[in-house]
Amino acid sequence: MIEYVARRLAQGVFVLFLVSLLTFFLINLAPGGPSSLIDFQSTAAEREARMRQYGLDRPVQERYLTWLAGAVRGDLGRSINQGLPVSRLLAQRLPITLTLGGTALVLAALFGIVLGVTAALQRDRWPDHLIGSVATLGMSTPSFWLGILAIIVFAVNFGWLPAAGNASIGRAFDLGDRLRHLVLPAGVLAFSLMPNVIRTTRAAVLETRAADYVRTARAKGLVERVVLVKHTMRNALVPVVAMLGLIATVLFSGSVVIESVFGWAGVGRLAIEAANGRDYPVILGVTLLAGTIVVTVNLLVDLLYAVIDPRIRHD
Amino acid sequence: MIEAAARTTPDAATRGRLWRKIARRPVGIFAFAVLAAILLAVTFGPSLVPHSPTRTNARAILQPPSAEHWLGTDELGRDVFARVLSGGRVSMAVGLFSMLVGLSLGLAIGGTAGYFGGRVEGVLMRLVDAFMAIPTFFLILVIVTSFGNHPVTIIITVGLGFWAQMARVGHAEFKRFRNHEFVEASRALGGTHARVMTRHILPQVLPQATVLATLGVGWAILTEAALSYLGLGIQPPLASWGNMLQNAQGYLWRAPVLAVWPGLFIAVTVLSFNLLGNALRDVLDPRA
Repeated sequence: MIEYVARRLAQGVFVLFLVSLLTFFLINLAPGGPSSLIDFQSTAAEREARMRQYGLDRPVQERYLTWLAGAVRGDLGRSINQGLPVSRLLAQRLPITLTLGGTALVLAALFGIVLGVTAALQRDRWPDHLIGSVATLGMSTPSFWLGILAIIVFAVNFGWLPAAGNASIGRAFDLGDRLRHLVLPAGVLAFSLMPNVIRTTRAAVLETRAADYVRTARAKGLVERVVLVKHTMRNALVPVVAMLGLIATVLFSGSVVIESVFGWAGVGRLAIEAANGRDYPVILGVTLLAGTIVVTVNLLVDLLYAVIDPRIRHD
Repeated sequence: MIEAAARTTPDAATRGRLWRKIARRPVGIFAFAVLAAILLAVTFGPSLVPHSPTRTNARAILQPPSAEHWLGTDELGRDVFARVLSGGRVSMAVGLFSMLVGLSLGLAIGGTAGYFGGRVEGVLMRLVDAFMAIPTFFLILVIVTSFGNHPVTIIITVGLGFWAQMARVGHAEFKRFRNHEFVEASRALGGTHARVMTRHILPQVLPQATVLATLGVGWAILTEAALSYLGLGIQPPLASWGNMLQNAQGYLWRAPVLAVWPGLFIAVTVLSFNLLGNALRDVLDPRA
């Protein structure tokens, strides 16, 4: 078990190394790469000074090694546009993204599993068709459009909920206020994630319900509720948990868009600002952070399998 | 002889069965019809509409729909209907071409890994894993930031967001077929690896690839729209469904209906691709 975790951790670190290598060289070798931040209105001396300030006068592989040596110690360099250390920017923005993403994930898992189980139990009857249609619709609708529609309906027309931000400006911390700001973005993000959960749950429940031990459980006279909860659900959970792990990746991409729609100053918004402002150290840092979270979630999911299904052993 | 037998040419009977199967999927046919209509509209529509999608008109800004402007005008007095059509042309083109990029790259790399196995497989599939670990959108951000947002760059970038998934499928499928007798037969007859891969295995993988490609176009259109919405994709004045939505968000309080049309077109198009993809899966992929 410990050996397994160690091996997986080493693999994860290796993948992250590849991610950083890929990102660093993509950025640095591109025609629009960091050297383009030197504009031609400045004098030669100014340009040289700026090149030196960001270390651009050194060859790319040397810069990568310097960056890597810093990154290992948690130093991701400084933002070109904001002058702050990238790690501090990330630390500031991450809680906002985690609040949004975490809430959306919980909502998507909750509604997705309930709807997925309902669809499976009502197979080929109208609830199944209805839920299936909702899932297909959810997969096809752009989340930012849904967000805009939600703003039009709930903020512009009815004025029930705020249209932007994660808190009212200039107000002390107020849970109710925070929650009111959270409803629309988390709801929209959850709705766009839900279809995957519904489909996976439905398929998993249908598959386990056809298993022999479920028939045995019924044959020995167990109540349907017990068969469903103890025999079917427990086994159907494995693929669903795998799905939720995958969703963590999608969640990041979704969060970038939703943060922009609702003006949340999270990691996603930071990435967009950095992309528009060609702030390379920040882009690099955000990508590495996203990669780290994905790798960690995948490891956690694999470990969780063994908890749900004792037959899965990590030797 | 063996060559001919190895190739899968469906005879008249199987073809008839295929058609009967398709005919039983009215939703798929409907989706196909909708897509054909949209494709025709965005291809020929822009030259039939009397208004230019980019000409501004200061005397007719934010107008409601009328006989003159079917869907009204935007904040610069441009005809929204004309913009939706020419924006659709861009969105459709980006969607289709990026799918082709992702599909061919994924099948080539994944297929090579699955066919040869061993060390080639190890190296290539680790690369795929690394790509999968970067949330797609961040990868796309990195590329667009570095290489700019020329439409061709956008196409390649969106395609790159999709290739790793295709590579996994290509890997699994080529691995499945590589030990089959028809491969051995072709090799024995002197067929090169390239010939075996493209002439013998590829046709076996095509049905599944078609399904994924159809769903992939929908995904690509959504991604392009999101990129353009964020200001990183297709740049104004060239219209795309995504950047029209970005514009519209500035006028939610004065003209909320501006935000409805582009989104509706994205949703209908992507929905049709998804429905068609699902129908194709039912027809073409017996294992699903």
